[in-house]
Amino acid sequence: MKSFKYILIFPVLFIAIFFLASCNTKEPSKNTEVENNIAISSDKPVVLIYYFHLTNRCPSCIAIEKATLKTINTYFAEEQKQGRIRFQALNDDDTANNEITTKYQAAGSALFVTQLFKGKENTSDLTGDGFKYARNKEDKFIEILKNQITKYLNF
Amino acid sequence: MKKFLIVLPVFLLSLVLFAQVNQKPAANPKLKVYYFHLTNRCPTCIKIEATTKKVLEENFKAQLDNGTIVFQSFNVDVPANKAICEKYQAYGATLALTYNKDNKEKIEDLTNFAFAKIHTEAAFVNELKIKINSLIK
Repeated sequence: MKSFKYILIFPVLFIAIFFLASCNTKEPSKNTEVENNIAISSDKPVVLIYYFHLTNRCPSCIAIEKATLKTINTYFAEEQKQGRIRFQALNDDDTANNEITTKYQAAGSALFVTQLFKGKENTSDLTGDGFKYARNKEDKFIEILKNQITKYLNF
Repeated sequence: MKKFLIVLPVFLLSLVLFAQVNQKPAANPKLKVYYFHLTNRCPTCIKIEATTKKVLEENFKAQLDNGTIVFQSFNVDVPANKAICEKYQAYGATLALTYNKDNKEKIEDLTNFAFAKIHTEAAFVNELKIKINSLIK
């Protein structure tokens, strides 16, 4: 009778442990989830635009984000609605962004344009162009960014 | 005394402006390393300039002393620097190398490289050293 009790208890314990373990499994980060969903569901290239910044921002840094949003809203509003372009501004100082900051090795202000297509990623670093042009020659920066996004969307 | 209090700041201001106006590009060295920046600078921009200077001073001291290489930095916001900023298309932080090839002046823009690599300082230093060495041969 005692051994019959053990036969009943072991499966119950096993199921309970399995259930608890699956509850504690760390969920993938939101960004990875977003990227994977896009990559799997889309048969066309998808462009992710990440702007990284610190909490204390200089005028050039602010100008880069502003000009990037202007580029997207002016030239790619439709693609953004379709989910083919995604923009995210991420604070490097926020520990919740550690994973993506490490992936892009973003230690300060940085602008990356990433193409997701057929399970592959291509990334262009436009940080230098941003610092060079965004504040005092916005049109030039918008042209560079627009060309890069267009290239990635149509590749 | 009142006059002196008015004259002194004006005198100091004119000294500062005079110093900025006199940031003229160097005569004719083999390699010009120019760094452009705005008045309000972020830590990354400051680090690029400081590390570039460090690379030059630690590895190319003799060339700096004999004029083979010159380093200069320009404030983009200073009107006196407008012409050189236009030439280098430097409207914000910009790192550029200027050299001669086949009797023609060539400009290599290292801004994207600088902002991409500066946070891994060893890589920045190493690649900049190789680049400079190749241009002063």
